[in-house]
Amino acid sequence: MDIDTTAPVTNLRWSSRAQTVGAIEAELSKIWASTKLTVEGEGGEERRVSARTSVLNLVIIARRPELGEHAASVITHLAGRHPSRTLIVSPADPDGPSWLDARIQAQCMLPRPDASETCIELIYLTVGGESGRHLNAVVAPLLVHDLPVTVWWPGDTPLGLPMTRDLFELADRVVIDGSSWSGDGLGRLAKLAELVEDERLDVVDLALLRQSRWREAIASVFDLPDLMPFVRSIRSISVFYASHEGAEANVVKPLYHVAWLQSRLGLVVEQPLRAVAEGGYRARLKARGHHVAVRLQPQESAWSAGTTLKVRLVAERNDRMLDVDVTADGEGVVVVAEPEGGPRIERRFLAHRRTDPDLIAETIETVGSDSISRAAIRGAAALAGATH
Amino acid sequence: MTTKAAPAKATPAKAAPAKAATEEPRTIRELRLAHKERPRRRTKAASNPLRAGLRLERMPDAHVFVLFGATGDLCHRKVYPALYQLWRTDLLPHEWRLVAFGRRPFNDESFRADVRKALELYSRVKPEPARVEPFLERIDYHMGDFGEDAAFDRLAERLATCEREHGTLGNVVFYLATQSTAFPVVVAQLGRCGLDHEIHGGGWRRIVIEKPFGRDLDSAKRLNREVGKVFRESQVYRIDHYLGKETVRNLLVFRFGNGIFEPLWNRRYVDHVQITVAESLGVEGRGAFYEETGAVRDILQNHLLQLLTLVAMEPPATFDADALRDEKVKVLRAIGEPTREEVERDVVRGQYGPGWVEAKPVPGYREEPEIDPQSETETFVAARFEIDDWRWSGVPFYLRTGKRLPKRASEIAIQFRAVPHRLFRDTAADPEPNLLAIRVQPDEGILLRFGSKVPGLGLDIRTVTMDFTYGSAFSTDSPDAYETLILDAMLGDASLFTRADEVEAAWRIATPILESWESGPPPEFSNYAAGSWGPDEADALIERDGQHWRRI
Repeated sequence: MDIDTTAPVTNLRWSSRAQTVGAIEAELSKIWASTKLTVEGEGGEERRVSARTSVLNLVIIARRPELGEHAASVITHLAGRHPSRTLIVSPADPDGPSWLDARIQAQCMLPRPDASETCIELIYLTVGGESGRHLNAVVAPLLVHDLPVTVWWPGDTPLGLPMTRDLFELADRVVIDGSSWSGDGLGRLAKLAELVEDERLDVVDLALLRQSRWREAIASVFDLPDLMPFVRSIRSISVFYASHEGAEANVVKPLYHVAWLQSRLGLVVEQPLRAVAEGGYRARLKARGHHVAVRLQPQESAWSAGTTLKVRLVAERNDRMLDVDVTADGEGVVVVAEPEGGPRIERRFLAHRRTDPDLIAETIETVGSDSISRAAIRGAAALAGATH
Repeated sequence: MTTKAAPAKATPAKAAPAKAATEEPRTIRELRLAHKERPRRRTKAASNPLRAGLRLERMPDAHVFVLFGATGDLCHRKVYPALYQLWRTDLLPHEWRLVAFGRRPFNDESFRADVRKALELYSRVKPEPARVEPFLERIDYHMGDFGEDAAFDRLAERLATCEREHGTLGNVVFYLATQSTAFPVVVAQLGRCGLDHEIHGGGWRRIVIEKPFGRDLDSAKRLNREVGKVFRESQVYRIDHYLGKETVRNLLVFRFGNGIFEPLWNRRYVDHVQITVAESLGVEGRGAFYEETGAVRDILQNHLLQLLTLVAMEPPATFDADALRDEKVKVLRAIGEPTREEVERDVVRGQYGPGWVEAKPVPGYREEPEIDPQSETETFVAARFEIDDWRWSGVPFYLRTGKRLPKRASEIAIQFRAVPHRLFRDTAADPEPNLLAIRVQPDEGILLRFGSKVPGLGLDIRTVTMDFTYGSAFSTDSPDAYETLILDAMLGDASLFTRADEVEAAWRIATPILESWESGPPPEFSNYAAGSWGPDEADALIERDGQHWRRI
């Protein structure tokens, strides 16, 4: 479901500050008893806004100010659809004394002219010194009990650290973005794969979620009855991704294409990814009776580094070849399948690039554990294994 | 209707497994309609390992959508806005085409302008030029008369061209938004041209039919037979738009996705069920249509009985279309055909006279345009049914619908039994029995009523409610029922469409009511004032059981 980013955003109905967890809790309880929380209705009469509406706790760890600002903007776009208590936590000055500063806001919006006003609570928390290493202790008392807890950690997620583990203990769902990790991004995949083994926790990687239109397009080729048998006979998988000269590209997104195919088709990683001199990476998978060559190939492009430009599959069955090219094309993805001796098939899938509000909304709406993503993450970690 | 006499159920023939007795198709035709013995088509996910878990599994295959009655009001108000919304949200494939079949003299350009105007008027989101234009470009106008062979021959050629030039893979949805009298003609023409043929290995054909599906049991059977001569039942999608409403779909989730209600959902805990579909509008320029229809055909036979089946059905073993519809049919069969005596006792009809609705004076039904001044058409019906099965035996289901009632409201209310022991009988007010109300429209939501102690030193009990409204938990627009249903038809998911045997089972309940009225003395109409909740007899119907209609 697209989030309408042109929809009216929220109005600030309450703002206060606090410097202790206890004071924050006191401020939060004041908000909903405050007579100030009224709005002028038609004809100038005052009416009280509707009571707090929360369907989840959302905890965002923003280690850089711009990440916090971006996250806050995403949340205000989600307010109407997924009202939440949101904590945007920014650790600061790790070596200084412990301190805490909180800005507490009630943001309200009218989702429809005839609807009640819907309000969310936003708490901007800056945590200094030792407290920043015990985020769980700051976050736990501020959660609305009995509501699900989603932790969104944009940017480099320090997976595997005790601080991160403790925080994730509070969560039902963790959202990270592997494509925003620094470097090639491959080093963190092993830790991510460890995290997905925890059955209690749903782990969502936005990098994997973003590629759903590609997966749909690739899968569509093998919906065609004549081409379906080729799906088990893929001999090579090549993913072309954007790169900028001299800069290292994060290749988590291109790798996820391979990992998804590997996990869905039950392929075994025979030779993990290795960087090659001409640029990019090679790996080898093993299927029943044949090998599958894997190539991640950089290509100069104006798109941001690591963006998938094309997925190419070559399959061979009973001495008959099938070439499949899935290529990004503006607001869509074009699929071209050329079976040897058969008609060329071309389809275009319309799919807008999804914004962060769309992705976060989808993450929130998806219920339960996603075994397909788990398997793809495991596969990506296995493929990344030899490089680190 | 009331429960059939118990001894009849104990006869040896019926003592055999009840399931077999009720489910076994009786004729070859039923066998074909019920579609039980055919191997189920393998789903995409089952055959293509890459399909599992994809969110966009709901994108239909490339296809042509052929719309009959394309210049009609229904298409302008509902179908085009729904198709545009699907297009806008990327739920239609790039290769999608619309062929609009109509009699009026349009060309592609003028027809597209007409659709653009319809979208401006009726689309629930303001049309954006960047999205509208590519949508309109995919529409071709096909002028022709339903009786004209050449028009259908040209249609066949056009579909072949679409497949060749636009990659629609031979897939076609035929959507009949026409008068029901045209259904057999269009279906026969499609059959004559072989347009129903599904090509092995690709190229599906589906036909979507708008209600009414007949006007009594015989005509419904006839229509099913005509459609069945050309299309297999698995290709036929009969739209009852009520089933596409978000709250109605949520009913299934509410019942079968929550563990706490199902144990209470039976005769042991439920006292009775009330289902209301109330309209504040009159006939609104559709007088001639309504004269031929009436409340039983317009609402009771389809919407009300559909809601009843969803409330009363057993949990299906799987969530596929046939499993779901099998259970719904069992409910309808368990109600059975009402006898003349049962109709007289358990069904009330009414027709509105002049009155006030929404602070405006309105004329009586017989004074409306296109209405016979002596009309005997019912604008209100209330009925008491019983479902003769293990779960519901003895639990009355009260159904009512009417025009010019005080407000537009649809609701299902499950009234639970009172507590077995009145512990608080000495308090000022005895707690009312619990009630669960599912509001279908407006203010879609679910309400649970229970007793609570009034704060203070005494022991006063007051009824309070836990009220869930969609608007507060999900502050977003729900899709229109037509969007849901059209997309489902494109995807080949028939769960929310009515099957032939289901339609006929509903007519087996409704037809005896109509026949009984037709053969009886003329009714004393009008018998309720516009703006009231129906005739006094409707109140008497429920009060006879010591109950009363819910004030909505």
